[in-house]
Amino acid sequence: MTKITKKLLCIAMSTILLAGCTGSSSANGKITLEFFSVKSENIGIYQELIKEFEAKHPNIHVDLEQPPEAETVLRMKLTKNDTPDIIAFNGNPTYGEIAEVGVLHDFSGSDLVDKVQPKYFDMLDRLVGPERDGVYGLPYATNADVVVYNKQKFQELGLEIPKTWDEFINCLEIAKKAGETPIEFTLLEPWTTLPVWNTLAANLVPENFGELKDAGKTSFAETHQEVADKMLTLLQYGHRDNFGIDYNGGNRAFASGEGVFYLQINSSVPEIKRINPDIELGTFPLPVTNDPTETKLVSGVDVALSISKDTKHKKEALQFIEFLMKKENSQKYLEDQKTFSAIKGVTQDNSTYDGIRGYFEKGKLVSFQDHYYPTGLGPENNIQSFLIDQDKEAFLQKLDKEWEKVQNR
Amino acid sequence: MAKINKTYLLMIIPALVVFFSFHTLPLLQGIFYSLTDYRGYGTWDFVGFKNYFNVFQDGRALNAYGFTFKFAIVSTIIVNIISILIAMGLNAKIKFRKSLRAIYFLPYILSLLIIGYIFKFMFTHLLPQLGRTLDWDFLSTNILGNPDLAWVGVVIVAVWQAAAFNTLLYLAGLATVDEQIYEAANIDGAGSWTKFWKITFPMIAPFFTINMVVAMKNFLMVFDQIVALTNGGPGHVTESISLLIFSSGFGGEFAYQSANAVIFFIVVVAISIFQLRLLERREEQ
Repeated sequence: MTKITKKLLCIAMSTILLAGCTGSSSANGKITLEFFSVKSENIGIYQELIKEFEAKHPNIHVDLEQPPEAETVLRMKLTKNDTPDIIAFNGNPTYGEIAEVGVLHDFSGSDLVDKVQPKYFDMLDRLVGPERDGVYGLPYATNADVVVYNKQKFQELGLEIPKTWDEFINCLEIAKKAGETPIEFTLLEPWTTLPVWNTLAANLVPENFGELKDAGKTSFAETHQEVADKMLTLLQYGHRDNFGIDYNGGNRAFASGEGVFYLQINSSVPEIKRINPDIELGTFPLPVTNDPTETKLVSGVDVALSISKDTKHKKEALQFIEFLMKKENSQKYLEDQKTFSAIKGVTQDNSTYDGIRGYFEKGKLVSFQDHYYPTGLGPENNIQSFLIDQDKEAFLQKLDKEWEKVQNR
Repeated sequence: MAKINKTYLLMIIPALVVFFSFHTLPLLQGIFYSLTDYRGYGTWDFVGFKNYFNVFQDGRALNAYGFTFKFAIVSTIIVNIISILIAMGLNAKIKFRKSLRAIYFLPYILSLLIIGYIFKFMFTHLLPQLGRTLDWDFLSTNILGNPDLAWVGVVIVAVWQAAAFNTLLYLAGLATVDEQIYEAANIDGAGSWTKFWKITFPMIAPFFTINMVVAMKNFLMVFDQIVALTNGGPGHVTESISLLIFSSGFGGEFAYQSANAVIFFIVVVAISIFQLRLLERREEQ
């Protein structure tokens, strides 16, 4: 207790001090907008865009804040009623909870809403829940769970992009026989189980599983058997220290030519390229079933932009969001982040994504399952334990029990 | 009389105000919120003792208690054995005694997180290589990714860092022992083992008590080491209570983990009092 209180106090005091600093800058006639982002990978491109924005609007200063453990810090700021002017959320339950409490600006009726592809609004809406209507976040950038592959190795092994689960397993077998590491797992960090879990679950389990489970109409034990089995199958094609390598280590290993496939979120692509700019990468969605027409790409909202309801500078905050959502700026963001856009008419043309672009165009998309699990469930640690001890029944029952427990609080 | 009171009051009141507002008040707030369904922000209602009942049925919380106690007991014992040995070595008449004492105190000055990340690097990259060269199976993979061994990694780091401070306390204790007693023992023909058990240990018993209590309390609160090394993983096997309270508390379970924090507070106080009682009685004998 005392240790936590101390930590809290330290953080609270330092933020008070920081707030004091930023507050004073408005004295020289400039308006300061606090721009809080929960993501740390895009700090460079934000800074670039902010510089351009500030050049066009000399009376506005945008203060970018991207602390580590950002969602925790954001919750603490809300605890103190110190909501940042602009928040860039990830489309996960944190967004849903905060939007539900009613501290965010409602964009309903704004021109900005029309700029965004509507299916991404649906994903955010389902996070907020049925009790509150309105548009509290504008989807900006989106992401996808993909299979990244090393093009050079792929050709050396004579592989073709697999369309079915059996073809994919066959690719893994060929790679294994050739003495390669088929899949570079990074399971020391529990969250890296989620891209695999989400892709399997999204293609094998009804998309509204979360709602059904909340209503007590379904369970993990009933619906996730095949998901768990297939995860174990994939695990056989890892390396010798699957649970000893973390995400950064995995990126480094993959960039230096270890591993043929990398089951990851697409944001790993720029990270790998940064370590080895010469590596040629390709992507495709993991084929989960043996019917190639059934395969869907798992995609969700990576960045959603929101404004505090009570900000003193709503006009300026809206100006900034409008600036970010301009086509040319969104394009710059995509090029830097090697990701996808929620804004109509902005496409990612990087050749790495040739294998999945069609899924975006045809709208064969499905959302991340774990975004609709209640906060506090923490599926990733349970999945990690399951992959270690491989006790499927106990694992699925545990998820069911944890879900009910979290709901009860 | 009244005049003296005023001076004392002037001295005590600022400290009392600071202590109350930064320590007691948050504690009371925590107890208050533990009776609600507060998420850390937004609206809330009173729910009575529901959070407390839920903690006792929460497998994850019980697992955290289990791990924390196992870790604290093992670490406390190892730290005290190592500290006594180092302290006696540093207290002996050896060359560079002063500089060696400084070197042995160094780990305590370094930040726990930095130590943790350095050790994590060693566990992840250096030790598996060593294990593969020597063909030791248990070392050939990262022990932090192995649910059976991850806690050993945490113990190693925690003990390595904590031994410095406990050594310092034992050194202070050894300085209080009169040389003449040893001389008398030498004349009587006592061996070094007898000297340790019959003279050194009883003479530094109060320091042993303090070290046991301090070490136990610190290890029960273990947090930084785990954040740097495993972040509670793999699964939840190395999740300590402090880490659980912190990570879940600010993950939307503020009130629930406040209840957990209150329980933990009571447990730590109870253990400390129990230890003090037990060890003090032993000292008197």
